[in-house]
Amino acid sequence: MASGVSVEFWVATIPFVPLITFPIILFLGQYFNGKGWWRDILKEGGAISLMSMGIVLILTSMVVAQFIGEMHNGQGRDILDWITFDVLRSDGFTNGVNLGFGIYIDHISLMLLFVASFLCFLINWFSIGYMNTDKINDNRNHRFYAEFLIFCSGMLGMVLADNFLWLFIFWEIMGLCSYLLIGFYYERPSAASAAKKAFLTTRVGDVFLMIGLIIMWNIYGSLDFDIIFGWNYFENPVDMTLLKTALILMFIGAVGKSAQFPLHVWLPDAMEGPTPVSALIHAATMVNAGLYLVARMFPIFMGTADSGLIGDLADVGIIIAMIGGITAFMAAGIAFVQNDIKKVLAYSTMSQLAYIFTGLGACLWFASKGKPELAYFALGASLFHLFNHAMAKGMLFMASGSVIHEMHHAHHHISHGEHDGFDAQDMTNMGGLASKLPITSTAMAAGSMSIIGIPLIGGFWSKEGIIAKTWKAAIYDGGYLLFIPAILLLISAGMTGFYMSRMWFMTFAGKPKTKVAEHVHEETPWIKFPLVTLTFMTLGGIVFASLHFISWVSEGHAFHYDLVYEMKHAFLAMDKDGIIDSTFLILTWATIGLSSLVGPIVAMSLYGGNLKDGQKAIPTVSWLVRLSGIVRNRWQFNNKSLAESGLAEALRRRLYFDDFYDWICLKIIVPIGLGAALFDKKGIDGVIKGIESGSQSTSTWVRKLTTGSARDYIMMVALGSLLLVGLIWGMA
Amino acid sequence: MAYDVVSVDGLRFLLPELVLVSGILALFIITNIGDAKIRLPLTRLRIPALLGGNRFKWNSDPRLPGVISVFTFIFAIVMLIQTLGGDTCNNLVEKFCTDTTILTTTGNSPVDLLKLDSFSRLFELMFFLALLLVSAASINRLQADSNPSNDDLDQLLDNRRQVDFHLLLLISGLGMTIVAMSMNLFVLFVGLELASLPIYVMVAFHKESKAGSEAGVKYFITGAISSAIGLYGMSLLYLWSGSLQLSVLEASWAAMSTPETLPLFGISLLLVGFGFKISAVPFHFVAPDAYAGASSPVAALLATASKTLGFIGLIRILMIVTLPAESGETAVWMLAFGILSIITMTWGNLAALGSENPKRMLAYSSVAHAGYMMAALVAVAAWKSGNFEDNGIMAAELIIGAVIFHLFVLISFKIGAFMVLSHLETENEVTDMSSLHGLAKREPIIATSMFVFMLALAGVPPLAGFMSKFLMVTGIVQAASADVLTNSNVDLIPTIIGMHWTFFLAIAIFINSAISLYYYLRIGVLMFFEEAKTRLPLPKVSVLRFVILLCALGTIFFGVNSDWLVESAIEASSTLF
Repeated sequence: MASGVSVEFWVATIPFVPLITFPIILFLGQYFNGKGWWRDILKEGGAISLMSMGIVLILTSMVVAQFIGEMHNGQGRDILDWITFDVLRSDGFTNGVNLGFGIYIDHISLMLLFVASFLCFLINWFSIGYMNTDKINDNRNHRFYAEFLIFCSGMLGMVLADNFLWLFIFWEIMGLCSYLLIGFYYERPSAASAAKKAFLTTRVGDVFLMIGLIIMWNIYGSLDFDIIFGWNYFENPVDMTLLKTALILMFIGAVGKSAQFPLHVWLPDAMEGPTPVSALIHAATMVNAGLYLVARMFPIFMGTADSGLIGDLADVGIIIAMIGGITAFMAAGIAFVQNDIKKVLAYSTMSQLAYIFTGLGACLWFASKGKPELAYFALGASLFHLFNHAMAKGMLFMASGSVIHEMHHAHHHISHGEHDGFDAQDMTNMGGLASKLPITSTAMAAGSMSIIGIPLIGGFWSKEGIIAKTWKAAIYDGGYLLFIPAILLLISAGMTGFYMSRMWFMTFAGKPKTKVAEHVHEETPWIKFPLVTLTFMTLGGIVFASLHFISWVSEGHAFHYDLVYEMKHAFLAMDKDGIIDSTFLILTWATIGLSSLVGPIVAMSLYGGNLKDGQKAIPTVSWLVRLSGIVRNRWQFNNKSLAESGLAEALRRRLYFDDFYDWICLKIIVPIGLGAALFDKKGIDGVIKGIESGSQSTSTWVRKLTTGSARDYIMMVALGSLLLVGLIWGMA
Repeated sequence: MAYDVVSVDGLRFLLPELVLVSGILALFIITNIGDAKIRLPLTRLRIPALLGGNRFKWNSDPRLPGVISVFTFIFAIVMLIQTLGGDTCNNLVEKFCTDTTILTTTGNSPVDLLKLDSFSRLFELMFFLALLLVSAASINRLQADSNPSNDDLDQLLDNRRQVDFHLLLLISGLGMTIVAMSMNLFVLFVGLELASLPIYVMVAFHKESKAGSEAGVKYFITGAISSAIGLYGMSLLYLWSGSLQLSVLEASWAAMSTPETLPLFGISLLLVGFGFKISAVPFHFVAPDAYAGASSPVAALLATASKTLGFIGLIRILMIVTLPAESGETAVWMLAFGILSIITMTWGNLAALGSENPKRMLAYSSVAHAGYMMAALVAVAAWKSGNFEDNGIMAAELIIGAVIFHLFVLISFKIGAFMVLSHLETENEVTDMSSLHGLAKREPIIATSMFVFMLALAGVPPLAGFMSKFLMVTGIVQAASADVLTNSNVDLIPTIIGMHWTFFLAIAIFINSAISLYYYLRIGVLMFFEEAKTRLPLPKVSVLRFVILLCALGTIFFGVNSDWLVESAIEASSTLF
């Protein structure tokens, strides 16, 4: 780093790089649309945006390299003054409250910074391949890249902000971009309404978040992390009920953003956006914002517990864990019956985010109960799962994008461009693609395994931790209510194994179900690179785990390599002193059994099968296909009665949540709105119009008094003199 | 320090005024130099007499008188700044500061005539600036006539009328400075009339136009009667105290234990005279006629300098003479003025709301502004009737400082607005709003400037008009809440209930500002969204454009960088107490 300029300054430039680039793309695109060089060389702005993301990635790597070592507390620093003012409080004026933008760096923001810029870069790369050949958005892609860049800037800014206010500002920027990008194909009514739905649903959460932040401001007199995290509860006691309310309200904001029960309805519909958008915004980054917000509450819980207020905030942890458990279970259930490949992934995202929320809930519960070690472990496990999930889910969405893209292409080829209602995303149209799409199928397999938690692969390490800590809280520390999420998580682990496997086998194994699926082949080079990179990233979960990623991200310890301990810890439930906890040994193997054996095997028996004769899959996945064929031949059973039962129907209708919300809107909100409109028109407008016409007529009357005759004026002067004399006389 | 007014020592303090006098003489002489010759008796020698005869080419230029008066005013401002500062001032750069000097008559019992301090100097500066802008704008101003006949053009080329106009401006300026310095009601009256009489003539200066002469006559008659009433009040005061010295009057007023008829009558009638000057309701009726009949630069003068004259008188009478010496007593004029101020601002705004003639609209807006400033003066009385001692002086200084500041910045945006109309008059007579239609497409810079002036008049931040209005309202609220706040009661509702009634003046200002936004912004709508009859730009009158631009820049500048001026105004008002 250059001398004289602080490191924080360089960090602060990161969100500004895409922010500066986006107008360039927008204006150039508006100008040079349709020009050959614009389309072929600059990829309709994609190349420019990729360059910008590359700069971001380099800057991020430098920052990560700078801060990767031991770091116990976050470092906050103000970069930019925005509004400074005095505030009147009940105990007098506090001077010079500053709402400036600053940088806050600790390992949590460092990790998310890396995740965001890394995935932004890769998905941008992917978009160049995906968007360019898509015939629908002719001459419109510059808009996509511009909005993509604003989103990146919002995400990077949110991760770096050193106070809740700027966090909220960037949060809203992301919300806006999410709206714009979901509605990218705005000529499709379903996309337009999905965009509206997403925006309005998250807005419900945001309102609560805002109220929560206002209460926080009232409590602490500031929204700066430094001030809030370093608060001394002995010297400046706060109203714990109020604080609890604020935290819960903020959590509702997180629920909206991260699509948790009961504000989850927008995420599946958000899949109407282009697939790169689903990969980036609705799987890997933006939906993590809610998790990040909850993770940022952690020091508050620690602080109160340190000050002796043990357990005062424990309820918040329970609520968070409860919401997480319910969502994890519910989303996994709905994912059972989805046939749209992206919808399956959307519900899987919801479910996995819910895991992280549960972990964070347990973590906050431990923190509030004054058990920092367990709390740190739960926090680390949750954030590690966030990391693994972001990598895997980003890849899965890109892989699904690849499938859709090639299906679409093949259909286009066969039907000669005719639209016949063919759904390129429907898994019932696929099958046997493992031979046609070697890289995609490998990536999809690795990603699915990571999500399922197949031992040794990515998500396994973190998911084990989350489930174990939730159980620990429930069993040992008196959090009986936490049994509910703990059990739900365990069941969901098995369900995850089923629906992720179902997706993979329906797509890649068995015989092709349509003619289109037979003609698919992988061709676009832009799509392969991100998939391969992320496959290695996902498989490398074991490296991160053995480097003690969990204690790095939570407690700030430097990385240290110890694979043997991690293995013992994960598979034998052995702690540092070498003592094996039998309860957790059982729990661990129950989880592994449910998720890695029961779920996949049921899926294989229902949806597996060998490829068409003569087709060969790439060796990385051919064993899977063959295994599924064996399982299917041995244990095939008929699930027709179950698939036609009321429960399946309910799941297909998404448990009637959408219908319920529609009903509420129609029966309650719309009449209120109509009434308000009526009041506005008749009441307020009427008063305003009345004032207007009244003052106009008064004006006419008043001006009529100015007759233009000097005689009248003199009379008025005389009257005025009398008035003055009278008034002054009367006063004295 | 006291000096004899006719001594050399005394005169050196009057340098700016002497500059004006020499400017008047220069105008007389330079424009009359001609080729007339006198034959020496009994010889054939003819020597040039210089005065009379046919003038030379260089001094028959119609722009010459304007140039002379502009340079006179510039020179006077330079002299004024030269006399600033003094032994007791050390921060001249930041504040307008000068030692107090009193000029008296010689004789056994010297009478104090003029007082030179930061108060009078600041007002002098205001007058000079206003007159400078007006004279610059009328250097090569053409008549408001769409089809000038040949006679008219000849008359224009003949610079004698221009000489008259600028002569009147200079004389009026002389009268204004006297008013600013006077500390004797008699001197004040002489100065007032010296300033007003040329203005009456200037209103009627366009004798060819019916509206102009009619307006001039009406304005003169009404003004004369108001002056007479004021003078009568003054004579009553003289009858009562035996002196017109402000200090003597102040002492007599303070000594008066029970209200007496004579001084109360006197003060009331005196207020009528000043009320006419500031065009307070119901003495304002002739103002719209006069503004509409006069040419725009003269109307600008009416709206700023002439109004300032009235306010100097009011501040002198109300703040020096009649404020009760003891706190806790109520000034006699407080209620009357409070009522008048509310009526004035409301009347002005309501009438402006429906005005279709931009000049009349500006006239009514000027009435409304007078109302705001009157309300601020009432608030000064409120702190006296309240019970806070030390802060009271500060509050009063702040309020009067705000009024002075408002009068000062009015020069930038009020004159600016009239200058835009003046520019429109170079093309066509301005009688209704249609002249402004589509101005933005014809003259974007001028239209934008006009919009800035309108926003400033409406009091939109960050322009100068906002600052002044904000200061006045703050002052009023402070003074009104003084009683309540000393009880350290910070709950909202009881605070409002416990407020002095002057608090409602602040509310009235708020409501009126809201009403006024309508007609100010309407000008913007007309300029930017209406279709113009023509797309041709206005005739090129570079001086006028320069003045408009200067005013616009001043409006913005005083809005964002007002601290030093506000401090100077507060400094000036502190000399009153």
